[in-house]
Amino acid sequence: MNKLWLVLRREYVTRVMTKGFVISTIAVPALLIGIIVLQLVIAAKRPTRTETVAVVDCAGGVGNWVRRALEREKLPDGQGAFQVSRLVETPTDIAAVRASLTSLTRTGALGGYLWIPRSAEAGGQPEFVTRNPGWPLTMESFDRAVSQGLIAARLQRRGLDARFLSKLLEGTHVRVVRLTSGGKTEDWRQTDAAAIVMAMLLYGSLMIYGVTTMRSVLEEKTTRIVEVLVSSVRPFELLAGKILGVAAVGLTQFAIWTISAGLFAAYGAVVARAVAAPGAVVPNLHVSALTLACLIAYFAGGYFLFAAMYAAIGAAVSSEQDAQQVQIPVSLLLVGSILLFGVILRDPSSPASVALSMIPFFSPVLMIIRIGLQTPPLWQIGLSLALLAVTTLAVLYASARIYRIGILMYGKSPSLVEMLRWLRSS
Amino acid sequence: MLERPHGVCPRKDFKFRLLNGEHEYSASVAKFVTGEADELPDAVTAEAVSKRFSSTMAVNRLGLRIRQGALFGLLGPNGAGKTTTLRMIMRMILPDEGSLRVFGEPLSSRAQDAIGYLPEERGLYPRMKVLDVLAFLGGLKGLNGSEARRDAMAWLERLEINDWADKKVVDLSKGMQQKVQFIAAILHHPRLLILDEPFAGLDPLNAALIKDIMLELHGAGVTVILSSHRMEQVEMMCDSICLIDRGRKVLDGVLAEIKRQYGKNTVRVEFSGNADFLDQPSVVEHVNRFGATVEVKLRPGADAQELLRRAVTNGTSIRRFELIEPPLNDIFIEKVSERA
Repeated sequence: MNKLWLVLRREYVTRVMTKGFVISTIAVPALLIGIIVLQLVIAAKRPTRTETVAVVDCAGGVGNWVRRALEREKLPDGQGAFQVSRLVETPTDIAAVRASLTSLTRTGALGGYLWIPRSAEAGGQPEFVTRNPGWPLTMESFDRAVSQGLIAARLQRRGLDARFLSKLLEGTHVRVVRLTSGGKTEDWRQTDAAAIVMAMLLYGSLMIYGVTTMRSVLEEKTTRIVEVLVSSVRPFELLAGKILGVAAVGLTQFAIWTISAGLFAAYGAVVARAVAAPGAVVPNLHVSALTLACLIAYFAGGYFLFAAMYAAIGAAVSSEQDAQQVQIPVSLLLVGSILLFGVILRDPSSPASVALSMIPFFSPVLMIIRIGLQTPPLWQIGLSLALLAVTTLAVLYASARIYRIGILMYGKSPSLVEMLRWLRSS
Repeated sequence: MLERPHGVCPRKDFKFRLLNGEHEYSASVAKFVTGEADELPDAVTAEAVSKRFSSTMAVNRLGLRIRQGALFGLLGPNGAGKTTTLRMIMRMILPDEGSLRVFGEPLSSRAQDAIGYLPEERGLYPRMKVLDVLAFLGGLKGLNGSEARRDAMAWLERLEINDWADKKVVDLSKGMQQKVQFIAAILHHPRLLILDEPFAGLDPLNAALIKDIMLELHGAGVTVILSSHRMEQVEMMCDSICLIDRGRKVLDGVLAEIKRQYGKNTVRVEFSGNADFLDQPSVVEHVNRFGATVEVKLRPGADAQELLRRAVTNGTSIRRFELIEPPLNDIFIEKVSERA
């Protein structure tokens, strides 16, 4: 036990004391913050100024309604979203009007023009000609305004009093709220973001620390110091000390991030609000206690599972190049969980999602998304954790056997058959 | 605490201690100290030990007895199974068959702590500092941190590389790294020191330095196993040997006795001029030529005087004519060809 501790401590100290550790500890959150700030900046570029448009109503009688509806649309800061600079009703020279509006739009004097065909009331589709069909938000409100205008025109024609029409047509926005296990409601877009960030974080750290373990095993093998080590320590103690040492490095990094995130949370939110456009959604990565517990459990299970596999690879091969080759299947298991992201996002409680989140090699990443999106039944979390634990123990056992033999074998990388033979040998 | 009657001192104020505090071997060591060495269990006992790697038999039913305090040579060509045997003694790999005991006990991690090992393939953590590596490796053998550092520093001074204690291993020359590795093997006062090709890659000066310390430790009662394929080197240092070839024992025992068995059937001649006297098939079995010196193996029952007489008749000028025991190399070749 004492020797295991020495191995663990050496692994930890030599890794934490490196420039690499300091850089990655600073770089990862810097990158994450950078991405979030970038998104806020991009979000801030959403229309903040009123768009000048022209409306052409070929049939007549609709244009005014559309104009009013357009001018009712508001930007997040309260000003009007559109200003109708010209309204052309029943133009005589259709081609000339179109040509002049097109050229105005092309020069940028006009944001675009809306062309309402003669057949609009019978279902003909109006078109909006613009250089920049861009932002969904703009198009959404534009679409709504045109629809309202058309409906109003039709209703009026069928004899409804024009005075009541605007009142009758007043719409609203639906706010989507999510039911969580705690009974709280949150803005669903924000939970989405939190779930994806957590899953990506888990994926990234499983990959990084798994490969770190592999490198560490391989380094001891290629420098041949492993000969001296296994003359002093049982190979299993060496392997366990190494895996735990790298885990401790990972936890240290997470602790640093969590604490600094806590310290900067309030400050960061203030900054974010200042950078973001008024009214823009500031990501709120609120994480519940259950989620945090699951995050730790799945990190632990997933880390030991993948670190054991990577360590066995490090022990089996004799050079970095061989390692690159042999590690591909293991890395694909991890990448696979990212490729299956979409299945979960589409419907977190579909049979496919439930099944995938039970498979031990995918469950760390996929179950975390499910938990983030929509707390699954506790039995499902329990079952997937149990499956993960059993698999991890089995893989650790196999890996220890491969490790014990592999670290003293040099030369050609062993084939899968040979590795299986190592598993069986005493 | 038991201390050696005569200590090996890397420095004057530094006493070589065999043990640190109470130890499972203290009883047997007490016997050693009081001179009851004959009752001591052997340092290493191997009985019919075999190890197979896929299709090859690396070690085949090997029996071995190494008594305590011996300077034992494990000899054989490359690939004979020397390193595999050593690894099994240290429990780095487990034998498929047979039993192994170290100091009379089955292998355990405490037995591992009593062994110091210098592997043939040297290696240290390149990016760690010299003193940190030594403290770590000493710790793995049961030394506490401050003790390991103090002793390591003393040995670094003795080997004249103490200025490099705080440098990273990668910054050291190859020779210096070898010295550091040697210190790692002896730092924890092992009772059994296993050296696998210890002089490979060392310049003569450093080889002599390592050899002197090795002999000093041996003088203090440490059992030394020297593994090598360089017969002439081992022949000069070891008191007992085991020759192995393709996993099997060819020959073992006390070196002097082995040689006595073969008798003085070899003549070493230093001469100049006519070499025709060597062409006497009735007397000469074969000749090893080293330029001005030759070693002549005589036929059984042949008279060496016959050879000398012929040389004198031929007018060859003889500077030296000496009846010697056969070199280990010849014994080995003879034994191996007998088997083939």
